[in-house]
Amino acid sequence: MKTTVSNPSGWKSLITFTVLLLAWLSGFSSRLFAVIRFESIIHEFDPWFNYRATAYMVQHGFYQFLNWFDERAWYPLGRIVGGTVYPGLMITSGGIHYVLHALNIPVHIRDICVFLAPVFSGLTAISTYLLTKELWSAGAGLFAACFIAIVPGYISRSVAGSYDNEGIAIFALQYTYYLWVKSVKTGSIFWSCLTALSYFYMVSAWGGYVFIINLIPLHVFVLLLMGRYSNRLFTSYTTFYILGLLFSMQIPFVGFQPIRTSEHMAASGVFALVLVVAVLKYMQSVLSKAEFKYFFTFAAVAAAAFVFLTVVILTYLGFIAPWSGRFYSLWDTGYAKIHIPIIASVSEHQPTTWFSFFFDLHILVTTFPVGLWYCIKDINDERVFVVLYAISAVYFAGVMVRLMLTLTPVVCMLAGVAFSRLFELFLKEEDGPAAAAAANAGDSDSDTEASGDHKSRNMYDKAGKLRKMKHEQQRDNEGLGMNIRTIVIVAVMMMLMMFAVHCTWVTSNSYSSPSIVLASYGQDGSRQILDDFREAYHWLSHNTDSDARVMSWWDYGYQIAGMANRTTLVDNNTWNNSHIALVGKAMSSKEEDAYKIMVSLDVDYVLVIFGGVIGYSGDDINKFLWMVRIAEGEHPKDIHESDYFSERGEFRVDAEGSQTLLNCLMYKLCYYRFGELKLDYRSPAGFDRVRNVIIGNKNFDLKYLEEAYTTEHWLVRIYRVKKESEFNRPRIPVADRSVRIADLTSKKARQRKKGSIKSKPTVVKGRKPAAKL
Amino acid sequence: MEYLYSLPFLVLEVPHLRIKKPSWLQQPSAMVMYSLVLFSYFLVTGGIIYDVIIEPPSVGSTTDEHGHSRPVAFMPYRVNGQYIMEGLASAFLFSLGGLGFVVLDQTHGATTPKLNRILLIAVGFLFILVSFFTCWIFMRMKLPGYLRT
Repeated sequence: MKTTVSNPSGWKSLITFTVLLLAWLSGFSSRLFAVIRFESIIHEFDPWFNYRATAYMVQHGFYQFLNWFDERAWYPLGRIVGGTVYPGLMITSGGIHYVLHALNIPVHIRDICVFLAPVFSGLTAISTYLLTKELWSAGAGLFAACFIAIVPGYISRSVAGSYDNEGIAIFALQYTYYLWVKSVKTGSIFWSCLTALSYFYMVSAWGGYVFIINLIPLHVFVLLLMGRYSNRLFTSYTTFYILGLLFSMQIPFVGFQPIRTSEHMAASGVFALVLVVAVLKYMQSVLSKAEFKYFFTFAAVAAAAFVFLTVVILTYLGFIAPWSGRFYSLWDTGYAKIHIPIIASVSEHQPTTWFSFFFDLHILVTTFPVGLWYCIKDINDERVFVVLYAISAVYFAGVMVRLMLTLTPVVCMLAGVAFSRLFELFLKEEDGPAAAAAANAGDSDSDTEASGDHKSRNMYDKAGKLRKMKHEQQRDNEGLGMNIRTIVIVAVMMMLMMFAVHCTWVTSNSYSSPSIVLASYGQDGSRQILDDFREAYHWLSHNTDSDARVMSWWDYGYQIAGMANRTTLVDNNTWNNSHIALVGKAMSSKEEDAYKIMVSLDVDYVLVIFGGVIGYSGDDINKFLWMVRIAEGEHPKDIHESDYFSERGEFRVDAEGSQTLLNCLMYKLCYYRFGELKLDYRSPAGFDRVRNVIIGNKNFDLKYLEEAYTTEHWLVRIYRVKKESEFNRPRIPVADRSVRIADLTSKKARQRKKGSIKSKPTVVKGRKPAAKL
Repeated sequence: MEYLYSLPFLVLEVPHLRIKKPSWLQQPSAMVMYSLVLFSYFLVTGGIIYDVIIEPPSVGSTTDEHGHSRPVAFMPYRVNGQYIMEGLASAFLFSLGGLGFVVLDQTHGATTPKLNRILLIAVGFLFILVSFFTCWIFMRMKLPGYLRT
C-alpha cells in the first residue's frame, strides 16, 4: 500500500477491522455445512447432554440447575449434575438466551446451542489476532486470525451443532493467554486481574484449564531459569495465581482440587519459588556482590528442592491426590492401554498419526517450525511463552488425537508469524518509504525489545547472526530480481489458496456429519438420509413406559436421555467404571448369565447399534472388544479377553470365530434374524457388510429377550427383556389355545388353577385378560 | 544482616572448597535449542507415540491376485492408523518444507553474493514445493477420494 493516503493509521485499522470481520464471517459460514445439509440439530453424543442441561437450566433457573439430581442417568445411582459439570457452556448460552428474550427476540434455546460454537470461533480468531500481535506484529496477527478461522483442527470441534465445551474453551484459552502475555509485558495488576477473570471463565468451561495452570507457571519457571526475573513478572504471576486459585475454587466441580491434586501443584510450587527469588533479589540489594553470587545459586536450588520435596511428601502422606489416570496417561503413554481401558477405548484418546497432523493443519504443519525458529531467534519474555506453548502442545497432540485442538491455535499463530515474515521479505520494495513503513508497522514490538532484550541479544545470538540482522536492516538496493519475487509470492499465494480449498473440503466431508443423521451416497451421486437413530429414540419415547430402563453401551447414554427421555444405566460421563464394567459384562456373557445381571439392574430394554446391513463401521460389534476389556478389568474371573479371539488370535464373527463370541449376548442381539436376511441377489444370506463375512452363528433363538423394534436400516435394534413369568411357561401355539379353552372343566385346567393367585391376571398373548379371570 | 550471615562460621571452619560450575553446563544457544525442538517435532508429527503404543509393523503387506505378498507402504483408508515408515516419511517432508521456508528467509543476508542467493532461493523453494506436492500425493494414497466430489 502506498503511503500517499492522508492518514495511514486510519487505513491500517480499517484493514484490520475488515480482515477480522471477514475471518469471522468465513469461519462462521464454513461451519454451517451440517445445518444446510441436514437441519439445525445437536450433533454426536456429549452435546446432547449439554443441550439437555442447558434446556433444564433455562427452564428451571440457575440454582435449580446447580442442585439438579438427575435420576434418569446411571440407574440406580443417579447423577448430581450440578456438581459434576463445567457450567460455563450452559451459562453462556443461557445468558445469550436471556438477553435475546429480554430484547423480545424469541429464539429457541436449541438454535442458540447449535450456533454457539461457530459464533465463538470468530471470537477465537480475534483473540488469536490480539495474542499474535503481542508476540510479533499486527500483520502476523491477521494471518493467524485468518488461519484459525478456517483451520480444520479447530473446525472439527466447533461446527454448528457440535455444542461442546471445547467450542467456547478455545476462545477462553487464547484470551487468557493474551491477557497473560499482556500482563507480563506491562506488569500491571489490572491486566493480571483480567487474566485471572478470563481464567475463571476457562475453568468454568472446560477441564482443559489444567493446561493453563501448568503452562503459565512453566513460563514463569523457565523465565526464572533464564535469568529473566523482573518485577513485572513477580506482580503478574502472584496476582494471577492467588486470584485464579480463588476463582477456580468457586466452580463446584473443581472445588478444592486446586490445592489438593498433583495437577495443580506445579503452580503453587512456582508461586513459592517466585516469592523466594523476590526475597533473594531484595537480599541482593543488601549483600555485597561476591557473597551474593554463590548465595543466590545455592538458595535458589535449595528452595526448588524444598518445594519439590514438600509436594512429594504431602502426596505420599495423602494430603495431595496423585495424578488422575487421564493426566497420568499423558506422561506414561502405555499406562491407559494397560490400566484404564475406558480411557483408551475412546477413539479420540488414541495417539495421533502423521495423517491427522496433515489433515488438520495442512500447510501450517510445515510453517509451524519456521515460526518457531523466528521466535527462538529473537527471543524475549513473551516469545518464551509461545515457544513453551508450542512444544508442550505438540507433545500432547502427539499423545492424543483430541488434544490436536490445543495445538491448532499455536500452530496458527506461528504460521502467521512465518508467513508475515516471508511476505515482508519478498513483497516489500526495498526502498526508503517502504522501510519507514516497516519501522512503523513493527514499532509495537521493537520498543519492547529495546527494553527487555539488551541482555538476551548478547547471551543468545551468536555474533555472526547478529551481524546479519544488522545488515538486513541496513541493506539497500542489492535486491532480488522482480521476477523471482513475483514467482515466489505467486506460488506461496497458490499454496495458501490450496490451504483454503483443503480446509473447506475437509470441513464439508469429514467434520460436518451430525452422526445422528447419516447420509449415504448412491452410485449416481444421489443422497439418502438414514435417520435410524432418531427413529429408534422416538419409538422409545412413544412406546415405552416413561420410567423404563434402557441398557446400552455408554456411548449412547446421552442420546437416549436427550432424545428418548428414558432412564439409562451408563452414559458418556464415564465416572463409574464398575457400573460400566457390569454393563460390559452383561453384553459379553451368555444370554442366561446376562439375564441375571439385567434383572439385578432392573433393565427393561436393551438397545444395540448394528451396522452390518448398511456398512456403518462404528457399531457395537466393532466396539465390542472394549466392552470385553473393560468388563475383564473389573471381573477378571468371569470374562477373559482371549476367549473372544479365534484360535489364530483374530477377532472375527464368521464361522471361524470363537464360540464364546458367537454365543454372547451382544452377538445375538446384533445378529438376531440376520441369518435370514439377503441384502441383495449376489451376496449370500447373513452377509455382514462391515466385516465383509458371512456370520458364523445364524440359527439361534432368544430365550430371555424379545425383539421390540428394529429400525428401517437395522441400525438400531431394541429388545425387551422378558419378565420371569414369560419365558418359564411353554409357548402355546394359537391352535392349541382354543382347545384348552374348550377343555376348561378338565382335570388339567383345575390343577393349573389351583396354584394361581386369585386377583393376578395372567397374560396370554392374543387373549383379553378378562377372559382368563 | 552481616552478623546473622556469619553466625554459623563462628563455630564452623570454612573448608577450602572450589566449586566450579561445570563447563558443559551453560545456556544452550538458540540454534541448538531449535534443532532439538525441530527434531522432537519431527518425531511427534511422525506419530512416534502412536508407534510406541500401538506397535504397528514398519511396512505392511498384502497378497495380490497371484498369491504373492507385496509390501504396502501406506495403510489406506485408515485415518487413525499408520505404518512406522509412512509416518517417518511424511514427518521428513514436513520438516523439509519447514527448512525450505527457513532457507528462503536466509537468502536475505546481504553478504551472500547474488548467484548464491538465487541458488538458495531455488533450493528453499524446491524444498517447499517438493514437500507440498509429495504430501499431497501421500494424502491421495491414504484417502483416495481426497479433494474429489
